Amino acid sequence: MLAAAALGGLGVFLVVARPGWSAAILVSGLMAAGLVLFGWWQQAWPALEYRYASYRVDGNGLEIRRGVYFRAVTNVPRSRVQHTDVAQGPLQRRSGLATLIVHTAGNESAVVELPGLTHDVALAIRDHLLPGRSDDAV
Amino acid sequence: MPSDRRLHPLSILFNIGRQFGAIALPLVLIVVGRGTDEDRWNVYALVFLVPYTAIAVGRYLSFRYRYEENDLVIRRGFFFRNQRHIPYSRIQNIDAVQNVVHRLAGVVDVRIQTGGGNEPEATLSVLTLADLDEMRRRVFGTRAATAADTGTPEAAPADTAEELLHLNARELVVYGLVENRGLIVVGAALGLAWELAPSKLVEQYMGDQASRGLVHSLARLVGAEAGPSWSALGMGVLALLVFLLMTRVFSVIWALIRLHGFRLTQQGDDLRAEYGLLTRVAATIPRRRIQTITIRESVWHRVCGRAAVRVATAGGKGEERERVVEQREWLAPILRRERVPELLDRLLPRVDLRAIEWKPVHPRAFRRALVRRLIGGVWIVLLALVLFGVKAAWGIPVIALWAAVRAHLYVQHLGWAITGDVVAFREGVFGRRTTVAPLVRIQVVELAESPFDRRTSMARVRVDTAGGGHGVDVPYLPRHEADALYATLAASASRTAFEW
Repeated sequence: MLAAAALGGLGVFLVVARPGWSAAILVSGLMAAGLVLFGWWQQAWPALEYRYASYRVDGNGLEIRRGVYFRAVTNVPRSRVQHTDVAQGPLQRRSGLATLIVHTAGNESAVVELPGLTHDVALAIRDHLLPGRSDDAV
Repeated sequence: MPSDRRLHPLSILFNIGRQFGAIALPLVLIVVGRGTDEDRWNVYALVFLVPYTAIAVGRYLSFRYRYEENDLVIRRGFFFRNQRHIPYSRIQNIDAVQNVVHRLAGVVDVRIQTGGGNEPEATLSVLTLADLDEMRRRVFGTRAATAADTGTPEAAPADTAEELLHLNARELVVYGLVENRGLIVVGAALGLAWELAPSKLVEQYMGDQASRGLVHSLARLVGAEAGPSWSALGMGVLALLVFLLMTRVFSVIWALIRLHGFRLTQQGDDLRAEYGLLTRVAATIPRRRIQTITIRESVWHRVCGRAAVRVATAGGKGEERERVVEQREWLAPILRRERVPELLDRLLPRVDLRAIEWKPVHPRAFRRALVRRLIGGVWIVLLALVLFGVKAAWGIPVIALWAAVRAHLYVQHLGWAITGDVVAFREGVFGRRTTVAPLVRIQVVELAESPFDRRTSMARVRVDTAGGGHGVDVPYLPRHEADALYATLAASASRTAFEW
């Protein structure tokens, strides 16, 4: 769709602005390069994001690592979990995936999301994180 | 079975007033200002009142509250009934607001806040002062008793009130000068003038004078090819000075009215702030609800040797919060800088602000901070070059030097520390801010690395609390120190149980 839009834009540019041959070739070339780059980014970025995303669950809580260039490690202590959601969109449901959403009393990090888990794993982590067990560290 | 209570009968009137509030002012202005030639408005206004009155009476009749053993129970609704149980132990604050009319009638607007939610859990509008006292006693009295049962040593019975801070007129004048609220007043006054003054007069002053006089001469000043005339420039500067002075004067007046007789007292485990000449506010801040404490020193604060202390308590998010919390957060609108540690000592007895050993950031942080400020400066230089041509180039070294000075001061003041169960952070160039967050209040810890951080092996550690606002967010940490800080904070947060 983006390619179609770009081609359309190019056509309008050629008709309306009536550039010389050199200018037309330059603009077309730049657009082609841009499209190739964009296409590569579109298919490579999720894989990159996936490679740099990981999580860890232990007795202390949940830790999520994310980000390719701008990296962040987020730690949600188990005792700070207010409540949790396991959410599934239609696409996720078809591939058996789910997003774990942890709510804290925090401000900027009031909602911490961990997408791309299989549904079973998401449920298991949720059960582990839920408070109210006797083995809670108090 | 505890008996049901109603609000004060005056509630009906106040309810009408509030429902009506949105259109009341324009209506009154119409009636007062232009009533002479169009008396019909009075009649129309009365028609508007009828449904509001019916709603207000219905609300009053259907609203009941009662004190159960552990809960405050509020029933309301005529067709859609609603019964809300608020456990005493969950109640964070009982705020009381009195505007002029409330005070004349001897009643208060009471708002009950718990930890979550987007707005006050309950608004009781209006109660008598005696009712409010009883509510405070029942809610907080029970709490003290239960806390004592569980063996919390801090929960002393709330009998004696100890004054922590009192702002006299002089301090309020300083406050008004330091915090420039004058523009708010000017804006409000202009708005009112626009509504009240005959339109011809407004046009004459705002339209004619402003556009032809002030704006025009300003434009001439800036755009003058032959250089501005000195007398015109002098007039301009003088006008600006007078304007700045006037806004400060307004600011002082605003402060004297708004914060009149500000008193901060401690009653057992609760702090209470009371202030206001026209609208009297009494806010209660339970000490154990405090999430973060921020000490703010603007440039003017530092010139006057003062500081402002704010606390963030956990409350709802959203619009209502802005309003209510802003009132509640004023722990000390202004106080002498040397008294800050003393006040902090009341809030966090185990922390001594003077004894904190601030840890510096990465030795090479200056370069990062400088580059950041230089990039900011590039835009100014480009703009100047476009506007004034090549002769503006002499500004480049000035801006670079200014950036260097600021970067140096920033990095030098930047610091963090973990001491006595709190994490502390300070930053700022000329105006400074120090934030203290108890480790128990930490919600989420984050370690972030930008590409620039990775190249210089630095990282940033961010701490999120339920309080919000300016939190602990330490940039330019050496990578290994950041890891250690992150691990320490995460571990101590997971070891402790968070309580509201």
